[in-house]
Amino acid sequence: MENKEIMIEVHDLRKDFKKTIKEPGLKGSFKALFKPKHEIISAVDGISFQVPKGEIIGFIGPNGAGKSTVIKMLTGILTPTSGECRIGGKIPTQNRKEYVKEIGVVFGQRTQLWWDLALRETYMVLKEIYEIPDEDYEKRMKFLNEVLELDDFITSPVRTLSLGQRMRADIAASLLHNPKVLFLDEPTIGLDVVVKDSIRKAIQKINQENGTTVILTTHDLEDIELLCERIVMIDKGKKVFDGPLSELKMRFGQMRELHFELKDADSFEILKYSEDFSFGEEDLTVDKNGSEVNVRFNSDTVSVEQMLSYTLSKVHVKDINVKDADIEEIIRRLYLGGGNLIEETSQTV
Amino acid sequence: MRRILKLHSIFIKQDLKKIMEYKVDFLLGAVGFVLTQAVQILCLGFIFAAIPALCYTVNGEVLDSWTFEEVLFIYGFSLIPKGIDHLLYDNLWGLGYWIVDKGDFDKYLTRPLSPWIYILCEKFCVDAFGDLIVGIALIVYSLCTMPADTLMAINPWRIIPILIVIPFAVSIFTSIKTGTAAISFWTKRSGHITHMCYMTNEFAKYPAKIYNGFVKTLITYILPFALTAYYPAIYLLRGEELWSIPVTVLVAAVFFVISQIVWRRGLRAYESAGS
Repeated sequence: MENKEIMIEVHDLRKDFKKTIKEPGLKGSFKALFKPKHEIISAVDGISFQVPKGEIIGFIGPNGAGKSTVIKMLTGILTPTSGECRIGGKIPTQNRKEYVKEIGVVFGQRTQLWWDLALRETYMVLKEIYEIPDEDYEKRMKFLNEVLELDDFITSPVRTLSLGQRMRADIAASLLHNPKVLFLDEPTIGLDVVVKDSIRKAIQKINQENGTTVILTTHDLEDIELLCERIVMIDKGKKVFDGPLSELKMRFGQMRELHFELKDADSFEILKYSEDFSFGEEDLTVDKNGSEVNVRFNSDTVSVEQMLSYTLSKVHVKDINVKDADIEEIIRRLYLGGGNLIEETSQTV
Repeated sequence: MRRILKLHSIFIKQDLKKIMEYKVDFLLGAVGFVLTQAVQILCLGFIFAAIPALCYTVNGEVLDSWTFEEVLFIYGFSLIPKGIDHLLYDNLWGLGYWIVDKGDFDKYLTRPLSPWIYILCEKFCVDAFGDLIVGIALIVYSLCTMPADTLMAINPWRIIPILIVIPFAVSIFTSIKTGTAAISFWTKRSGHITHMCYMTNEFAKYPAKIYNGFVKTLITYILPFALTAYYPAIYLLRGEELWSIPVTVLVAAVFFVISQIVWRRGLRAYESAGS
């Protein structure tokens, strides 16, 4: 790795939850009350990684994989069962008050703002909480206003804001005190394309101008493609991939997508990709929707050129195009495969 | 400290503004409270219409007795520390009922404030003006209707220990709420436990001597609500039970320490909620 200052250091982090097993129905509830059976669930099962200062890192993984639990441990909300995390040399749950001054936290699913306060007053409260000097506050507000366009709704109470406005307000709130690290848990969830775009730009700008280290979790793969230099994939509490996006693309980049529209929808019958080529089971999927056909294939097995000429020689098409390795497709394969890629990757921790 | 007072004042202003916005809600709440109190006081009135005084007897011998005015005074006094706690620190109820359960406690942990202080100063419960107004009204009314000789016997200097003891009495309420609300860090919800403890406060509105040993011990030492009501009130009226003043201070300190220990352990056990 390059000689960059390490901002976040996580070593063998674990979090177990004790769950009461309950049989269904009222009888089951009574049983659980008097003779509770417990089960230990490892939400996070020995995760280690490092993040250099100024990096934007994306956490991905299926629902319930443990992404949020990791974030909550890094932000000091949850106490780890074992293992260690240090951010800027500090341990989150020890001396919390000092620690949280250096981080900003946004949970996309729930606001941290005060429901009834006008946004401007909200920021005044935060100014008091973080003891931000007037001068810094003015400067910071101006910058955030520019980046997140808060002016339109700064006098409205938080409860009247639209989801997109609220998210921008939340992000601004997390950045008022100029934190060294910004944690974003699903910052683009439920937003429309325009707002998503402006939020992504804002994150990028903040990262560039202030050198803020950003950790974000997301299900939106565009977030990752546009923002993250590096991704960590978590599944069932374990890290299954850690490396730059380009590496992931290179390793899975052979998947291509051939998309075309048939002049005559019935002519689809003539196309027999699986019979005429020797694709493996995972290497080919064909979807047909009316006259539109989508063929996903492994270009290591059959080259793009071969596929194109085969298709064009068999049928007449109105329109045809080939799409590059789609990260969405890669992730889909990873999620479904559930395999551990760590041993295979060259990336060391 | 100044920062906390400033924060508190911002939230107080905000909640006062809210009264203007949700007038009906506030009025209904206030009317409801006054009605509940009025029914209880009317009951007292009916009882005292039939009897001259409330007596404490052992083997038929009258050891102590309280007039209607005195009972009203104690009742009114009991609402003052309770009302102050209700006014300033009501947010702890929310903790036990839904804040922990829904995972909303997360936000209190990501600010450079003690989460306990943050949650305390975040809400200013205007409903509590009901307790305070009824309490003060009862105190004033009972003093005005008291026989002149009883009133003249009150030494005005006794007000000083009382003023000292009131903040400690308030803190007993706050500590009991803190300790029981913190149970929710393990159980997700504990509002009912807080509520159960608060029910014993009903006993404390009346002279503690009239109860049997169990209830008396319960409300003096275990859930020491009598220390916030009967004892200081009777000291003010008659100069009796002076011992209760230092004991209240001591008990408040002990309860504070215990509640803080439970709270701190609770924070470590907090599990948040899935998102």
